[in-house]
Amino acid sequence: MDIVPQLIVNSVIAGSLYALVAMSFNLVFGATRFFNLAHGSLAAVGGYTAFFIGDSLGASLPAAMLGGVIVAAIVGYGFEFLVFRPLRRRKASNLVLLVASLGALTALEAVIAILFTSQFRTLSFLAGTTGIVHIGTGVMTHVQVGILAAAVLVLIGSWLLLSRTSFGRAVRAVSDDEEVAKIVGINTDKIIAVVFIIGSAVAGLAGVLAGLDTGIEPRMGFSLLLKGVIAAIVGGIGSVYGGFLGAFLLGFAENFGIWYISGEWKDAIAFAILILFLLFRPQGILGKKR
Amino acid sequence: MEYLIHLAILFSIFAILAISLQLIVGFTGLLSVAHAAFYGIGAYALALLLEHTGLNFFVAILVGAVISGVAAALIGLVLSKFRDDYYALGAIGFNVIIFSILLNWQEVTRGPLGIPGIDRPELLGFTFSENIAFLLLALVFLAIVYGISEFITTSSFGRALRAIREDEEALSVFGYRTSFFKLAIFVIGAAMAAIAGGLFASYITFIDPTSFGIAESVFMLSIIIFGGLGSLRGALVGALILILLPEALRFVGFTPDIAAQMRQVVYGLLLVFLMLYRPQGVAGEYRL
Repeated sequence: MDIVPQLIVNSVIAGSLYALVAMSFNLVFGATRFFNLAHGSLAAVGGYTAFFIGDSLGASLPAAMLGGVIVAAIVGYGFEFLVFRPLRRRKASNLVLLVASLGALTALEAVIAILFTSQFRTLSFLAGTTGIVHIGTGVMTHVQVGILAAAVLVLIGSWLLLSRTSFGRAVRAVSDDEEVAKIVGINTDKIIAVVFIIGSAVAGLAGVLAGLDTGIEPRMGFSLLLKGVIAAIVGGIGSVYGGFLGAFLLGFAENFGIWYISGEWKDAIAFAILILFLLFRPQGILGKKR
Repeated sequence: MEYLIHLAILFSIFAILAISLQLIVGFTGLLSVAHAAFYGIGAYALALLLEHTGLNFFVAILVGAVISGVAAALIGLVLSKFRDDYYALGAIGFNVIIFSILLNWQEVTRGPLGIPGIDRPELLGFTFSENIAFLLLALVFLAIVYGISEFITTSSFGRALRAIREDEEALSVFGYRTSFFKLAIFVIGAAMAAIAGGLFASYITFIDPTSFGIAESVFMLSIIIFGGLGSLRGALVGALILILLPEALRFVGFTPDIAAQMRQVVYGLLLVFLMLYRPQGVAGEYRL
């Protein structure tokens, strides 16, 4: 079968992109324990910031990328500071936080559409003409190699951060029990704020990379996020490594699934997987039973 | 005048959607983000039945409600395994799957092209082609749905639903089969949403999948959260204000495309502010 290597390559690329979203989503979920649906829109913020910097200001790729990541981090922190922290102070339920994040997502997507129109745009002008790498009969562009590298780097980075630093210990403490973490003297608000900044920056990076590979549109964040959440649940919600694993499983399932059914059904396949996992293994592959 | 009638028809359709979603979310405490899926099933069922079988509108809209109810029974059975935020997530999943079927099952739904030329309702030789006649019809449907919902919520069945919302464990201790109640109200709500879908399809005479995505479900949710959860009157107030509010934007001088986006900004921010400052909405008795 000649197409198998290409299918594997496509699965790995999709998996890497989902992994960036899933790992950052899981990092934030681990600390706050609610479904932050606005998380995905930060990918769109990152992508469009890079587009603006590159297109209007004529900046180079690294500058545009850095700009996208920084602005996404600022917007993500803004959500935490203006919406989620006040709600947590009021002991709002997870549903209230979920609905608030749904509102933030809806508003932010529409703001992006007003500023940049709903048209599909590509950031490929930033990367210029990229070379390709041959893997068997499969082909991978340099941008796609970059996406895979970014996913692996973020995985290693998260592992170092979470298991090798005192900040990581604090994050795990907040994740286990926020109240107790507070009692033993951890400044939980500060820890959660930093988690939001890191998570949002990674989501922004995912948006820029998606834009370099294919393109950006205002609603890209929601579909990316849904894939990220599915990957997170499949791998084990709240576990950064589980997010990585789940993302690649999802990437493979989607891309090999369309071998049998046509490509438009990717989203439906992804959600069928989500519902099967929620039904039969809600804690995911790596998750602990709660 | 014609414009006011148009807004009144839209209000009636969204009021039906809001009331039926209120039964599920506000009275029973199930955060369903899948209501647009049943709205879509109703719209497509009506359009396809009118086109292929020549059934009368009034028969077709009821058949559509039954189809939607059956779909809701299957989906509800799966959703009944989940709670709270996982319920919401599962519901989002089903909305995406139904949307994907409307979009991709092209042999039946014609996919993104949509279905044009849907007939207006006809009864005993009278065609509701004038908008004012259609408005009266829509108001009749709204009154029936409101009446049924009022009956449900004031009956012992409705009290059981509220009890599930407040404390499901306690109710099951008293021997109630809570999963049956939750499934029943989900099916009833979905059947009502399909009625709204049938009205919408027949009024606009054209449907395509974009009217039935997640964004529409979020819009319906903002209507009832704004109006107040657990209140039928709140659902009416919410539908009225959230239908009229974006129209005001049109008069400020935005282009239609920008106005559509502004509508989303407005109700997105509205949700955030409601959660922050008034989670019970205008007239609600229940907070998420």
